[in-house]
Amino acid sequence: MPHITYIDAAGHSATHNLPEGWNLMLGAINNGVDGIVGECGGSCTCATCHCYVDEARLSDLPPVGEAEASMLEFVAAERRPNSRLACQIKATAALEGLVLHLPDTQE
Amino acid sequence: MFAFDPYSPAVDADPFPYYRRLRDEQPCFWSAEAQMWVLSRYADIVSAGQDWQTYSSASGNLMTELPGRAGATLGSSDPPKHDRLRGLIQHAFMKRNLLALEEPIRAIAQQVFGQLRGARQFDFKDVSSQFTVKVLMAALGLPTGDEALVDEQTVRDNAVLMVQSDARTRAKGPEHIAAYNWMQDYAGKVIAMRRAEPRNDLISHFSLAEIDGDRLDEREVLLTTTTLIMAGVESLGGFMMMFAYNLATFDEARRAVVANPALLPDAVEESLRFNTSAQRFRRRLMKDVTLHGQTMKEGDFVCLAYGSGNRDERQYPDPDRYDIARKPRGHLGFGGGVHACLGTAIARLAVKIAFEEFHKVVPEYRRMADQLAWMPSSTFRSPLVLDLTVQ
Repeated sequence: MPHITYIDAAGHSATHNLPEGWNLMLGAINNGVDGIVGECGGSCTCATCHCYVDEARLSDLPPVGEAEASMLEFVAAERRPNSRLACQIKATAALEGLVLHLPDTQE
Repeated sequence: MFAFDPYSPAVDADPFPYYRRLRDEQPCFWSAEAQMWVLSRYADIVSAGQDWQTYSSASGNLMTELPGRAGATLGSSDPPKHDRLRGLIQHAFMKRNLLALEEPIRAIAQQVFGQLRGARQFDFKDVSSQFTVKVLMAALGLPTGDEALVDEQTVRDNAVLMVQSDARTRAKGPEHIAAYNWMQDYAGKVIAMRRAEPRNDLISHFSLAEIDGDRLDEREVLLTTTTLIMAGVESLGGFMMMFAYNLATFDEARRAVVANPALLPDAVEESLRFNTSAQRFRRRLMKDVTLHGQTMKEGDFVCLAYGSGNRDERQYPDPDRYDIARKPRGHLGFGGGVHACLGTAIARLAVKIAFEEFHKVVPEYRRMADQLAWMPSSTFRSPLVLDLTVQ
């Protein structure tokens, strides 16, 4: 049950304890984190769960898959080297303490 | 003794009291009638939906699977095959790529719902089914007009029939299999047409697609196309019936969305939570799992009761109240996980436009019957007929 911290574009920070195996998009919307939309429900077709991952922790994450790579081209906010889609990252013990910065827009 | 039989007409009509008992008393329940486990709590369903390595779809995802389909479609395969199939069609279903469909969908809505001008009473199914098939034909690129292979109603009737099951035998009956075979035959003819003369539409692209130089195998092309037609027609049509049912039942909600159509998207989300037409889907265990004191064995089938998770008071306060101001984030009305419905964007767009145009013609309406005939299906739930009176 790793703790994940979401920081929105205005700087508001919220830390939540996510069930093992849940993806980080679900963890956000189930805990009332507003900066993530997750419109498609996790099928990787909307690019509205865009987040910026703490650079130092990028290597703890599974690599970007083909579907995620193609959807990252469509994010609404600026795409950066540490851009990921939260629905494609599962909460595991290896992610304990991970910090996600949320963009100012998802749509 | 408590029983939960997803084939029973009582469950078709009103599954919610059963779901409440399942969640409260037996959240990991063996249904002897369905020969599968039933998960009914929101958190358990979401966790299972995320874990495709344990809860596999490759043995089929419909509660009562169609013969020969499992493994060849998006919904009935696991990654990496699933991701490969999805990669070929996901762009067509992205919101930004659907903008071009907005105008044609509105024109269809105006034509179909315009027929209700002056009507005193009507069956909503007559208009929702016309609208659904025309929208799906436009979205998938099915032949219409001069090149149409059959009339639209035949496509609709077969799509609706093939998802049903027989309450007595708890299996597909000959009429359901015949509809499935008809749909495969129809899909096959469309594929052949589009391969001979490709156009800029989903089926042309999909039927000619190559991945790393390899064509998809014929069974995948045929059954995925068959499923897109079935799922599109049945799900969109079924959901529109449920949405109209809710608005015809809850006067306050209907008046609010008629007065202010900008509230329609919120009402759609609450309907997806409150009584989505996609009630239950199936997975198969790839290893033993112990949950709530029960051990489910590798190879066992498991029902994910989305319709129950959506009414779980552990997730949604006062869950049995239809509240269009609720904004129910994370609902399971489109399923979840890697298999979350691919058609979410087009469904939301089409339903919003349909009801905007419907309400321009019929702003005030009520249900005529208190008791309705419900579709016999272990997977989906919607009324077969929805007679409305214009107030």
